[in-house]
Amino acid sequence: MATQRPPRVMDPHAERFWEFTRQQELRLQRCGACGRFRWPPGPICDGCLSEDHAWEEVSGRGALLTWVTYRRPYFPEYPAPHTVIMVELDEGPLFVTQPHELETDGLRDGLAMEVDWLDGEDRHGEYRLPVFRPAG
Amino acid sequence: MSPQADLDRLRPLKDVAAIVGVGETDYAADYRTARGEASAVGSGGGDSYVLAARAFRRALDDAGLEKSDIDGLCVGGPIAHERIAEVLGLNPRWSSGGDAPRSVIDAVQAIRAGLCTTVACVYGNAQRSANVQYGGPQAMGGGILSYVYYAPWGLTSQGALYALMFKRHQLVYGTTEEQLAAIPVALRRHATLNPNAIMRERPMTTEDYLNARYIVEPLRLFDYCLVNDGGVALIVQRADLARERRREPVLVSGFGWSELSVDATQLRPRIKDFYFPAHHDVVAQVYPMAGVTQGDIDVYATYDSFSVHLLFTLEGFGFCGEGESGAFIQDGRIEVGGDLPCNTSGGMLSESYMQSWNQQVELVRQLRGGLGDRQVEGAEVAQYAHDVAGKCMSLIYTKGG
Repeated sequence: MATQRPPRVMDPHAERFWEFTRQQELRLQRCGACGRFRWPPGPICDGCLSEDHAWEEVSGRGALLTWVTYRRPYFPEYPAPHTVIMVELDEGPLFVTQPHELETDGLRDGLAMEVDWLDGEDRHGEYRLPVFRPAG
Repeated sequence: MSPQADLDRLRPLKDVAAIVGVGETDYAADYRTARGEASAVGSGGGDSYVLAARAFRRALDDAGLEKSDIDGLCVGGPIAHERIAEVLGLNPRWSSGGDAPRSVIDAVQAIRAGLCTTVACVYGNAQRSANVQYGGPQAMGGGILSYVYYAPWGLTSQGALYALMFKRHQLVYGTTEEQLAAIPVALRRHATLNPNAIMRERPMTTEDYLNARYIVEPLRLFDYCLVNDGGVALIVQRADLARERRREPVLVSGFGWSELSVDATQLRPRIKDFYFPAHHDVVAQVYPMAGVTQGDIDVYATYDSFSVHLLFTLEGFGFCGEGESGAFIQDGRIEVGGDLPCNTSGGMLSESYMQSWNQQVELVRQLRGGLGDRQVEGAEVAQYAHDVAGKCMSLIYTKGG
């Protein structure tokens, strides 16, 4: 059985995002009219209001921007200490995620990161969770 | 968004209305059980309607007004608009609501428009009794909200969002946790000067603050606000009528409003910009409208669900340069007796978590004078800066007379 994680927020757009993760593909919506990436998934381009978009696979690379460490547990699935990071993807969007193969004292501003995948499951089913490790 | 506000239309709203009455519940007494301990979370007993009504009655008494004088209503907190009007026995000619600064700004405009003359703004929140959760599996709200959306990775709680923001501030500007300590320590000192503050009997040193546990590192226990039950009411009245009240009126002399929602769930305006663009937009409204500048502010308050709010608004509103707030807040500058006393009631960290309604009461009281040891001597101009998830508003109050 896959690792139980706190529930995803689901809507038709999020469902597409998570479907791609099952093939370990990090795909974001990109506006067909103006080329703007958007994240989290949404119904229209907030830049030009076009509904036209494609799910484009992104590089999975980015730079570490900030991080926090939970010393008090909130979710039973994530006992303390638990670290959450934010990566600025090369394509622009800011991506909240977890560090992988990286200790907390190794976190550095601007550290080059790349996507990796963990298993996950919640009431919506099984999926793969995109996490980030130092770029090789 | 248009490039700038229309100051020619905004300026005539200066001093149109005044706050003539304030009322609060007994935060400190209500927080403790008969044995003097903090009441248990989720114990029930608190009723948001009763709390709002109690504060309303006190505000009426403070203003020397009767219930029948009220012809406008603004409602805040987890109470239903129609129900609270019925509970209070009011048939308002106009009503609105939301958070504290929105309510005051809306009231001024309604009074200016001639829709009403005397607006009761009432707030009640039995959040401690109701065990409202601001993070974790039972967090309030839902859907596409930044403190809910990233739950699969373990991100939850408003506090974590402010911790991410403070960590970024540390990385960019070198701000330290030891510098941040000055905020909770100053607000705690203010609480010890306020008989209605929940933490009035709990003095705290910098060492106490630093020895307290982290919640979401780099933020510690005392960077987080209290969670308690309470109610607040403000009576806003047309300025010419306000002069007939028993208390000296406090004029609403300036306001400004600006919201950053683009990429808000992605946390971009928070992490990349510390919400400065919204602050700057509000600065371009509130000071010209009131005809004052930062140097004229005698007493200041900001939303302080977390200590770090104060860093960001001091920088964004131009009291110090970007990245300089860590040094700016040292050596008692933000304490009563310092150059810029901030959150002088103890704020939401140490007085009461009334989601900024209590900040308005405190600024009114500071301008009225007579607060004893916590009085800012000669206070004539007060500012409130509201900075909640990029929804920025500000109010400038001045001493009527």
